Amino acid sequence: MGGVCSRKRDNQVDEDGLRRGVSRKYGKSGSSKWPLFPLSRSSSSVSKEGSNKCPTLLELCARKICEDIKRYVSFSMLPRDISQQIFNELVDSHCLTEVSLEAFRDCALQDILIGEYPGLKDSWMGTISSQGESLLSLDVSGSDVTDIGLSLVKACTNLQTLTLDCCEQISDNGLDYLSGLSNLTCLSLKRNSAVTAEGMKAFSNLVNLVNLDLERCSGIHGGLIYLKGLKKLASLNIKCCNRISDMDMEPLSGLTNLEELHLSFNKVTDAGVAYLRGLSKLTLLNLEGCPITAACLEAISGLLGLLYLNVSRCCISDGGCENLARLVNLKRLNLGFNNITDACLAYLKGLVQLESLILDSCKVGDEGMASLKGLLLLRTLDLSDTEVGSAGLHHLSGLVNLENLNLAFTLVSDSGLRKLSGLSSLRSLNLDARQISDAGISSLTSLTGLTHLDLFGARVTDFGMNYFRRR
Amino acid sequence: MSPEMKKEETVKLISAEGFEFVVDKQAAMVSQTIRNMLTSPGNFSETQLGEVTFPEISTPILEKICQYFYWHLQFASGKETEFHIEPEITLELMMAANYLHT
Repeated sequence: MGGVCSRKRDNQVDEDGLRRGVSRKYGKSGSSKWPLFPLSRSSSSVSKEGSNKCPTLLELCARKICEDIKRYVSFSMLPRDISQQIFNELVDSHCLTEVSLEAFRDCALQDILIGEYPGLKDSWMGTISSQGESLLSLDVSGSDVTDIGLSLVKACTNLQTLTLDCCEQISDNGLDYLSGLSNLTCLSLKRNSAVTAEGMKAFSNLVNLVNLDLERCSGIHGGLIYLKGLKKLASLNIKCCNRISDMDMEPLSGLTNLEELHLSFNKVTDAGVAYLRGLSKLTLLNLEGCPITAACLEAISGLLGLLYLNVSRCCISDGGCENLARLVNLKRLNLGFNNITDACLAYLKGLVQLESLILDSCKVGDEGMASLKGLLLLRTLDLSDTEVGSAGLHHLSGLVNLENLNLAFTLVSDSGLRKLSGLSSLRSLNLDARQISDAGISSLTSLTGLTHLDLFGARVTDFGMNYFRRR
Repeated sequence: MSPEMKKEETVKLISAEGFEFVVDKQAAMVSQTIRNMLTSPGNFSETQLGEVTFPEISTPILEKICQYFYWHLQFASGKETEFHIEPEITLELMMAANYLHT
C-alpha cells in the first residue's frame, strides 16, 4: 500500500481551491471597488500552457484517445499513470460522459476531479467507487449526487481529499457514510444547507482532518462540538453560516493547531472571540461582519503569530484599538467600515511588517496619515471614502513600495497628487473623485509602472489624457 | 568531416524485432529517457556505442516515435503542423511515450 502515498501530485488541487480544467463558478467574492484585496479566486483563471509549447507525445496520444473514445471499452489493463492521464484529458476536454467513464472501471485512478461536470449523478458513482483504495481525491461539487451515491464512496478508504461543494441532494444521512474515511485530510462541503449539527456527528471520526470547509452551510450551528477531537485541524472555514454564535466558539478553544479561521458574517460577539485566546498558532483570523467591538481586540492581541486580521464591517471604535499595537507580525489588516479615527491609527505605527492596510469608509483623515509614515513595507493602502485630503498625502510620499493606492471618494485634490510622484512602485491608482481634473493628472507622468488608473468620477478631459501619451 | 565525427552526431535506436533506426542525436534527445542514457556518466554501453535497444518497443511504434522526434524539432523551430497518429496504435504508442518520457 506504500505506493498510494508515494506519488507525484503535480497539477493537483491548489491552495485556492482551484482545480484543473473545469471552471469554478461559485464562491466568488467579486467587487470592483476593491479590485486588489482580498484577491479572489476569480482573478486566477485557469491558465492553459502557452499556445506554442510543443505537446509531448504522451499528450498527443491522450488527445487522440479522447477523440476516438468510443473505440475503447476498458482501460483497466493500462498502467495507472497512463489511465489517469487519459482520464484527465477527457475531463479537461469536456468529453467525459457516463458511458466513457465506464471504461475507467477498476483503473485504480487516484484523482477524480469532476466538480460541476454536466450530467454527473448517482449512476456515475459506481465506477468512481471501483477505484477503491487507490482513490485519493474526489471532487463531485455542484452535482446531483445524493446520499445514495455518496454511500458508495465508503469503499474508497484511502481518500484524502473530498469536495462536495454545492451538492444540494446530500444531507445528514449521506455524511454518515463518510465517518469511516479516517484518512481524509481535506473535506469541503460549501453551500450545503441540508447539513445540520446531526450530520456533523460523522466528522468526529475524521481525526486526520486538516482542512474543513463548511462555508455557507446555514444549518450547522450547534454541531461544532463534534470537531473537538480533531486536533490536527489547521484550517476551518465557517464563513456565512448565519446562526453560528458564541456558543459555537467554545468547542474551537481546544483546537490548538488551527492556523486559519474564517468566521466572517456570523453572530459571534466579543464573548465568543474570548474562546479563541489559546489558539496561538493562528496566522489568519477573519471576523468580517461579526458584531464584535474593539473590546475583543484584547483577546486577539495575544495571538502574536497573526499575519492576517480582518475585522472589517464590525463595530470597532477607537477605545480598545491600543491592543492592535501588540500584533507586530501582521502583514494584512482590514479595518474597513468601522467607526475608527486617527486616534486608532496611532496604534498602528509599530506594525512595520504591514503590507496591506484597508481603511475603507473609516473616519480617518490627514493627521492619521502621519502614523502610517513608517510602514515602509506597505504595498496596498485603501483610503477610499475617508476624510483624507491633499495634506495627508504628504505623509505617504515616502511609502516607496506602495503598489496599490485607493483614493476614491476622498478629499484629495489636484494639488495633492504631486506628493505621489515619487511612488515609483505604484501599479494601481484609484482617483475616482469629483475634484480631480487635468491639472492633477499632469503630476502623475512620472508613475511609469502604472497599469491601472481609475478616473471614473474625475473631471478629466482629452487634454489631460495627453499626459499619458508617451507611456 | 571524418566518419567518427559523423557517428557521434547520430544514434542507433533498435526495436524489439532488431530493426535499427539511425537518427540525429539531437532528435533522439527529445526523449528524456534516451537523453539520460546517452549522457549518463560512466561507461554504459549506450553512451559508448551510441546505441539503444528497446526490447519492449515494436518496430512500427519505434518508427512513429522517431517521426515524433523530428516533428518536435520542427515544431520548436516554428513549423507547427499536425502530428498524425493512427487510432490502432495509439495505446501502444502512449505506453512507449510514457516509458521514454516523451
